[in-house]
Amino acid sequence: MTGTAQGEVSIRSEGDIVAARRSVREAVMELGFGLTDVTRVVTAASELARNVHKYGGGGVMRWRRLESGGRRGIELEFIDQGPGIADVELALQQGYSSGKGLGLGLPAARRLMDELEIRTAPGAGTTVTSRKWCPP
Amino acid sequence: MSDRNSISIIIVRKTLMVTVPSDPDDATVSALQDEVLAAMQRVDAKGVVLDIGSVETLDSFFARTVAETASMVALMGGRTVVVGMRPSVAVTATQIGITLGGIETALSVERALDLLDRPVTGRSRR
Repeated sequence: MTGTAQGEVSIRSEGDIVAARRSVREAVMELGFGLTDVTRVVTAASELARNVHKYGGGGVMRWRRLESGGRRGIELEFIDQGPGIADVELALQQGYSSGKGLGLGLPAARRLMDELEIRTAPGAGTTVTSRKWCPP
Repeated sequence: MSDRNSISIIIVRKTLMVTVPSDPDDATVSALQDEVLAAMQRVDAKGVVLDIGSVETLDSFFARTVAETASMVALMGGRTVVVGMRPSVAVTATQIGITLGGIETALSVERALDLLDRPVTGRSRR
């Protein structure tokens, strides 16, 4: 496999959500994901990048290629220094939103990815790490 | 026309034929709503055919804007038919619980136009 193993997109404006989607699309296509899984991962990236922009006051997305036990995958990390999430369980429930969204962003990303972890505290920003593995 | 942010609206038989670009930013998605509503009024259109055949990512913001636009078009007395959703997009949208809130859908533009020529069924109109 050729190509880069990791990347980073700064999310400062609405247009950067598109940049994040493109970067992730290229990365997962190169990994050999099927079209539906590519769409799942890119859609999750779009939701999480929008959260960083809208609620986190901007931040960064990092992706890296994963290889473990013969499996290949991708890890996406979204980091912001925003207000944080007071109640993570609540934020993961469909329909809940602190802003103008539909409350679909986080729960959508969790459904589309294989793994999703959130590190956050009020006033301490939010880091969302998610992974998707290529089916064998 | 292949620009990722160009919205095309063509009027055929009092119907707005709207083509959505493949990877629009949020501002373009919002502009789409404004332009459709303005065109509805300007040409006294009976409905909207929204072609999303080139759309590769339908996230919750995009889906919500499409659903909202259709509700607004309905308030203006028109119908919206969403056309050409890709299989991978349909699978993903269903998985995250996106519903287009009772919007009519069709596989092709031709079928959408046929649909708009038929009277509304299963819904009372006053």
